[in-house]
Amino acid sequence: MKGMFQRKYLGIPYALYLLVFVVLPLIVIVTYAFTDAEGNPGVGNFLNFFRDPNTLGTLVYSLVIASVTTMVCLLIAYPTAYFLAMSSIRSKGAIIMLMIMPMWINFTLRITALKELLTMIEGNLALHPFMNSVIGMTYDFLPFMILPIYNQISRIDKSLLEAASDLGADSRQAFLRVLLPLSMPGVISGISMVFLPAMTNYVVLDMLYNSTYIMGSLIGSYFSAYDWHGGSTISLILLAMICIFTLLAGGDENEGTVRGGSVL
Amino acid sequence: MMKKISLRVLSFIGSVLLLVSSVGVIPVKAADDVITIRVCNWEEYIDEGGWGEDEVIDLESGDIFGDAALYEEFEDWYYENYGQKVIVEYSCFGTNEELYNMLTLGDEFDLVCPSEYMIMKLLAEDRLVPFTEDFFDEDNELNYYYRNVSPFIREVFETNEINGEYWDGYAACYMWGVVGFLYNPEVLSEEDVSTWKLLVNEDYKCQITIKDNVRDSYFATLGAIKGDMFLSEEFLNDPDYHERLEKEMNDTSPETIAQALEFLQKVKENAYSFETDSGKADMVTGKVYSNLQWSGDAVYAMDQADEEDFELDFAVPEECTNLWFDGWVMLKDGIDGNADKQRACQAFVNFLSRPDNAVRNMYYIGYTSSIAGGTDGDQIFEYVDWCYSAEEDEEDTIEYDLGYFFDDTLYGEDEGEGTGEYVLTVPEEQIRRQLFAQYPPREVTDRSAIMRYFDGDANARINQMWINVRCYNIKKINAAGWAAIIVAVVLIIASTAWMKIKKSRNRSIRRPLRPQ
Repeated sequence: MKGMFQRKYLGIPYALYLLVFVVLPLIVIVTYAFTDAEGNPGVGNFLNFFRDPNTLGTLVYSLVIASVTTMVCLLIAYPTAYFLAMSSIRSKGAIIMLMIMPMWINFTLRITALKELLTMIEGNLALHPFMNSVIGMTYDFLPFMILPIYNQISRIDKSLLEAASDLGADSRQAFLRVLLPLSMPGVISGISMVFLPAMTNYVVLDMLYNSTYIMGSLIGSYFSAYDWHGGSTISLILLAMICIFTLLAGGDENEGTVRGGSVL
Repeated sequence: MMKKISLRVLSFIGSVLLLVSSVGVIPVKAADDVITIRVCNWEEYIDEGGWGEDEVIDLESGDIFGDAALYEEFEDWYYENYGQKVIVEYSCFGTNEELYNMLTLGDEFDLVCPSEYMIMKLLAEDRLVPFTEDFFDEDNELNYYYRNVSPFIREVFETNEINGEYWDGYAACYMWGVVGFLYNPEVLSEEDVSTWKLLVNEDYKCQITIKDNVRDSYFATLGAIKGDMFLSEEFLNDPDYHERLEKEMNDTSPETIAQALEFLQKVKENAYSFETDSGKADMVTGKVYSNLQWSGDAVYAMDQADEEDFELDFAVPEECTNLWFDGWVMLKDGIDGNADKQRACQAFVNFLSRPDNAVRNMYYIGYTSSIAGGTDGDQIFEYVDWCYSAEEDEEDTIEYDLGYFFDDTLYGEDEGEGTGEYVLTVPEEQIRRQLFAQYPPREVTDRSAIMRYFDGDANARINQMWINVRCYNIKKINAAGWAAIIVAVVLIIASTAWMKIKKSRNRSIRRPLRPQ
């Protein structure tokens, strides 16, 4: 009985989960990605991907859609989170709740509602497929951007801002040199929660009648054509991009959440 | 304390054991005389019962009413007629490809209902179990399928083969239909929808949806790009018209695929979208004016629109159409040589083919059953009559001949003039509406072709073509686009680098201040 709750045993359930649902599938994906239809090993699948103007174009299209969505989310979320965190209104909790609430409803239902709304406004959805996709994704991902930024800003010690103004910084300088740098970890985690899913969230495009593929739909189309090799290759390319992105962004997460770079 | 715990633990374990054994023992005991068949069908493709009281179909030969789901009613029916208990494990699939992937990944089913090309694929891969001889015994009155299947369907299944195996030995047709345009008659004229070229008609830019599925889109494309040839006198008068049509509509040569790619790229620009399952709803709500649709779904959509006092019509282009079938097949992996199981599966097909059950399915899902009801009476024809025939005082009526589907005497050795019994008098509008979609007239089935399953290379070429249509070609990005992308990339890299540099500089300043 004594050893039951030793720390190392507590990890067992997750380790099992990891093995069955992450490690094993990953092995399968890697195997498929590095073999051709006859089972011969090689990197031909990757060469095909980067040589084909269609798949390459889809990668660019996904990146553009994801970047624009992220920018729009950021532009909406940052001011919102900022005012919410800085204001002294009592009902802050209720407002945050209102922002989280949409996340409790399945997103396909929300997009169905959005579809009707946009049809009312635009008349014909097919005329602006790119814009609609960005609107749909923003609608879907906005809470994921607001929450981390809000959390980060509320954690900043307000006395730092007072100190800044005591030392002669005007409010613009205090924001740019103290608050903005200190809130960066929130912004980065917000970006990673929006940017990467936006590259593959093809259901939004399907439901809002954008007939152009993004990375997610491309993987799906390979799989439904029984081409496990092509689909796995693209999955692996996406995974590589996620790793690169996390490496670039992750460096900042370890430090500086409390003591930001600009606290001098 | 210790004792108490262990006692509790013991009793707990004991009760668990008891529970497990009681659950475990009963099925083991019963397994000898209960068979389980695992059936996988399309979603919403069988009568699930639970009809309202006003939904009774009151035919002269008796009322038809859907009480419970057919697969549940089958269990009782089988016990009554075969004296054996059967359990139907009923599940659904969304697309043929999904079903195929399920089978490949190890899901085991005994009886499934894919479309004709998937049946051909499964048959070519030797994964199907043939029906036993007594399935074709017309004297056994429980063999509803073989006794009642339409002669038209029977002929198709007896004459189509793959690798020398004829369909009818392995597959029992469930539903069938054609492909055409569902359209809003206030906006589109009959002339507009009489050709597959409607898909690239710029008068209706962003007003038409097409199926998000390579086979249906490819078929429509072939109809459009070869349309002029199909309508030429020379082609129409060819004694081998039908063979030629079928050959042309199954053309997968690289040149044709290249043309199809070009056409579909135009469609992508011109259409509202490629839809997966929103097509019917978008027609009924008026978002789009026309929709490439299977006849059964067209019936469903027209019914829905009628309820909203809004008219939708259905048309099949003049060039040609796709004749499709969904059929029941038994899988080797599932049946695994078990004769009891196979008997139950075949009985399931027969039960669904009993004319009153076929009517229930047609009423419930809108598709057209393969059953005509020959030996067991004319219930099906009576139902069609009940649905569509004109009121006595109606003025604009036409004669609508369904002999090709119902009349046995038109086929086989005693091929004759037909009895002429199967002619309906219906309101004139029905040649554009539900009746036309549910039972297309002979001239439509005459210009129909079956799209076969494409193997290996051909399939790979078509799938690649489809992916290329849907992808964003990088060559489409113009100079301004590239400039914007490069500026954005430079900005992102610069700001990241700037932040890193700043951070490391701060760190180096701060370090001396920190107590070690």
